[in-house]
Amino acid sequence: MLTKMSVFKRSFIVLVLSLSCLLMAATVFAAPLRVAVVETLSGSQASTGLLYRSAVRYGIDKINAQGGWNGGSIQLLEYDNQGGVAGASEKVKAAIADGAQIIFQGASSAVGGQVTEDIRKYNLRNPGKEVLYMNVGAEAMELTGSKAHFHMFRISPNAEIRIGAVIEAMKENGNLGERVYSMNQNYSWGMDVEKTILDKSASLGYEVVGKTLHDVNKIQDFSPYVAKIKAVNANTVITGNWSNDLLLLMKAANDAGLQVRFGTAFLDQPGNLANAGDTALGHFIAHDFSLESTGDEGAAFGEDYKKKMGHYPSYVEPHTVMGIGLLGEALKNVADEDGKMNINKLVLAMEKATYHTPLGEISIRIEDHQVLLPMVVSEVSKDVKYKMDGTDLGYKPIKIMTAEEAAAPVQAATKIVRID
Amino acid sequence: MEYFTISLLNGTVYGLLLFMVSAGLTLIFGMMGVLNFAHTSFYMLGAYFAYTLQKYISFWPSIILATVLAGGGGIVVERYFLRRVHRYGHAHELLLTFGLSYIIAELIKLFYGNYPTNYRVPESLHFSAFQIFGTDYPVYRLLMGGISLGMFLLVYLLLSRTRVGIVVRSAIYRPRMAEALGHNVPLVFMGVFGVGAALAGLAGAVAGAFYTTNPNMALELGVIVFVVVVVGGLGSLEGAMLASLIIGLSSSFAVGIDLSLVDLFAFFGAGEWAQGLGGLMELKVSSLSATIPFALMLIILLVRPSGLLGEKG
Amino acid sequence: MKHSRFLILAAIVLLFALPAILSHSLVNAVNQMLIAALFACAFNLLCGQAGMLSFGHAAYFGIGAFATLHAMGIMGQESLLPTPLLPLAGACVGFLSGLAAGWFSTKRTGVYFSMITLALAELLHTMAPHLRSLFGGEAGLSGMRYPALGLTFGSDIHVYYLTLVWVLGAIGLQYYITLTPYGRLVLALRENSHRLSFLGYNVHHLGTLTFALSAMLTGIAGGLQAISIEASNYAIFDMHLSSEVVLNTYIGGVNVFLGPILGAAVMTFFGNAASDLTRNWLLYKGIIFVLVMMFMPTGIAGLVMMLTANLRKYSALLLWPVLLLSCIATFLLTMGTVFTVEMMQRILSQDYQMLAQMSDGGEWPPVQLFGRQWLPGSLISWGLPVVLFVAGGYFVKLAKNRWRVLQEASSDQSSETDSIHNLGEMTTESEHELNEREKA
Repeated sequence: MLTKMSVFKRSFIVLVLSLSCLLMAATVFAAPLRVAVVETLSGSQASTGLLYRSAVRYGIDKINAQGGWNGGSIQLLEYDNQGGVAGASEKVKAAIADGAQIIFQGASSAVGGQVTEDIRKYNLRNPGKEVLYMNVGAEAMELTGSKAHFHMFRISPNAEIRIGAVIEAMKENGNLGERVYSMNQNYSWGMDVEKTILDKSASLGYEVVGKTLHDVNKIQDFSPYVAKIKAVNANTVITGNWSNDLLLLMKAANDAGLQVRFGTAFLDQPGNLANAGDTALGHFIAHDFSLESTGDEGAAFGEDYKKKMGHYPSYVEPHTVMGIGLLGEALKNVADEDGKMNINKLVLAMEKATYHTPLGEISIRIEDHQVLLPMVVSEVSKDVKYKMDGTDLGYKPIKIMTAEEAAAPVQAATKIVRID
Repeated sequence: MEYFTISLLNGTVYGLLLFMVSAGLTLIFGMMGVLNFAHTSFYMLGAYFAYTLQKYISFWPSIILATVLAGGGGIVVERYFLRRVHRYGHAHELLLTFGLSYIIAELIKLFYGNYPTNYRVPESLHFSAFQIFGTDYPVYRLLMGGISLGMFLLVYLLLSRTRVGIVVRSAIYRPRMAEALGHNVPLVFMGVFGVGAALAGLAGAVAGAFYTTNPNMALELGVIVFVVVVVGGLGSLEGAMLASLIIGLSSSFAVGIDLSLVDLFAFFGAGEWAQGLGGLMELKVSSLSATIPFALMLIILLVRPSGLLGEKG
Repeated sequence: MKHSRFLILAAIVLLFALPAILSHSLVNAVNQMLIAALFACAFNLLCGQAGMLSFGHAAYFGIGAFATLHAMGIMGQESLLPTPLLPLAGACVGFLSGLAAGWFSTKRTGVYFSMITLALAELLHTMAPHLRSLFGGEAGLSGMRYPALGLTFGSDIHVYYLTLVWVLGAIGLQYYITLTPYGRLVLALRENSHRLSFLGYNVHHLGTLTFALSAMLTGIAGGLQAISIEASNYAIFDMHLSSEVVLNTYIGGVNVFLGPILGAAVMTFFGNAASDLTRNWLLYKGIIFVLVMMFMPTGIAGLVMMLTANLRKYSALLLWPVLLLSCIATFLLTMGTVFTVEMMQRILSQDYQMLAQMSDGGEWPPVQLFGRQWLPGSLISWGLPVVLFVAGGYFVKLAKNRWRVLQEASSDQSSETDSIHNLGEMTTESEHELNEREKA
């Protein structure tokens, strides 16, 4: 595995590569497939980026353990985008220059928007040298909508899938109530969540009694927002909030003695249960993997992941690993062309691939390159086998949805120009 | 009425918390002229110290010890770092504190990881003080407000009623003259810096349990404390109190106001015209709650640069 | 003087030749370094030359970027200007916004000036995500470079040359400005603005104009970045960028024209290279800041000047042992620090702790570092950094002794001694005086 290279080392590799190109002219020579993860690995937003990195490492190691691609191991390069859009753009360029043909990125939809555009433009300008963007977690709808393109796959759920799942399951379970409050962060992800909550209200028969979009990661004191929820007498709060914005909101509600249930998307971020403690009890989450409900197969995956990465897979890790599994399936069906990978062929193979996960089959939807994956909705409970975060709490599944049940329709704005 | 009362209570408590963090900063700022960017790092250190100590000793002693430790950290920073660069000027001091804030944040991540810790309010303090309009009001919130008020009184009395206070104030006002009169000004500087850091540490130790203790907590308060200090007036403790309350209340109330400039113009019958302009006109007050403090700061700086209650300027 | 002119010319020639020498990703890195250098240089017009420390220069960088992007055309719109002239949009809008912001902020001096610039920048930062038509919300805006003048501007090399020409031009313009009578007045603004107003100059207008010029050049830098990444996002207004430029400028040295350029280039390269090497690079960055502020107050430029001054004073033959000893000491101490930090990080990391727990009270498993296995329980793992620190400290002492001997020997010959400290004090004294005045 090629990690942590210095720029000098990188330039050295490029030198070696160009020399080997000369050699290749004479003899056909199998070049290893290079892939890169470009994530926020330092600074204030590093926690999620580091999780993506471990999940990608795990997934690629697994493909390599099964023989890699074209008789060689896949090489994983790692880049720190330093938390910003500009840094990400620069590091994507660096990764491509270092020979990476597949880019993994997930934390932050803003960075995802930049990466997907960068790669779209690069492919436009460099036909025959295409690069693939594996979106492992930028969940804004537009990335598989107006910004979707041929060389991008989203292997994570999105706002509609997550929030749709949690609302439906809570409704079925009788936990939703009539009066729903939408509390979300004021950016693309939060707005998508709000839109989903509003859209589902008619079909599932609830009333959205209030909706708020608040600043992202700036608010220390959520009690004024809790006062708003209290004022309209809501039964349930549906929120796409993550990290501190979720914790502080739930704590403020609990402190005010508010009797509401929370339906969330990202409660399983490491550290959340530890920090929230019993405050989290009885709230709901939609995620894409659960150790509880997936029998021996899921447990085996969980234990293996823990052995290699130090913790059970949660939050963004499971779907990243599964999605890379799907990539592995596709790689099996792509032959090399003069020892090199043809990304266009890989894209076509991805569109046809299916992969078996502990929850069920996953596959890619051809129209918008969104992964179709099963979802599980869980309740935070003490009655569980796997306790998380060093607490006595865990996620007790209340409903498992197949990929078809969980899927959200293709957006009207989606227009992928195909290269067949 | 219900909304008003609850917002008033919440805003006041949040303001008092802001005061706890910024009290030390305004003293340091006023006296040494140092824009101390590492100040909120002491707030974070306080929280992490208390969190760590809590595993070994009970809640209150760990809070007190965390305060002392944060103060000690402040003394070290002043004595061994700031004093060395003092002669190079304020810009260097400022940048030094900047570097220190990087180091502290990264060290915290090194030792405690990237995620929020499980530092929580102890069960014995986790109950509601009273009910207001059917909502519980947590006793810990009142406690935080009380500690802040107590701190304000203590520091205020210390500064205005004791001999030490007189020396400190004179050192703030005319450091050279105080030195000429035989007072050990560097010692005073060190003391004030230590006390300022300790106050921030106390705030962190108390608030970290109520909010979350995570490696970004210094960053989250980073700039807002400067707003408090500037709006209140550099070096003015009373000013910091007033400014904290104003900012606490304004951000608490703004959240609930879903009005925009369009509505204002509609009141005068020009709503549609304003709607057509879009952009700024359609911004709701509630989405501007983070902007208001900076607007306030700007107005103060332009109209009354010495701040609401400041003397120098 | 002849020497330095020759050096600069050589550097420029080298910059033009770089794409032929360096790899693709390194050329991209140099592109970023150039943009950062122009940003720092523009900032220094205000900070170093006019003596006004702005804490919100990210605002003008961002404004320049967004203006350029709008001129480029958002998502398939027609471009207003041919690609090579796009930074003009950033320059114009930067100048105008600088004029407005400068008019307000230069009404105050010292800390109050800094605070106004900070407030203005934060105001913009908090409002920007809500102004979707201008800044595109949180997702930002995205454009595309169009071919012009027979060039496609599709490849990074074209972008590099575009950046290079603009950066050299802008820095050249700024240097020319410093030579004009107006440039001299800017220096006077820093040294004694009271005297300047007694002489009949309008200090406020002068300050505003300087602010606007600085914002204009900053806007060009922002525009170049927008061209390079073909997008921008409101996060560009973050306080982080404002502080970055201040730090880069001071690390380079505020009192020398080339200082900030050097500082920004070095620190950008450091960030670029170190961030891929280690997760702890921000910690190292913090340590560098602190060390520079404490021991190198005049920055890199100050260090270079001190070296050349001493080279002139003492023969190289006498000086090189001191230099060598200092280099060895720096190397040893750096190695010691890096080793300790990296070792700690690996041992404290979550996955390692899990492994350690599984060992059930037995010996903790080894840690992989620098291509070797280190046992956390063994003496070598912890003895090595200690040895490195001790040896480093010893070499520091040796270097200091040598230096003292050298100075004592020469103090008989010349009355003036410019050691590290003296040089540091010379340049910072005026600054300090200035600050004292501001305070009074």
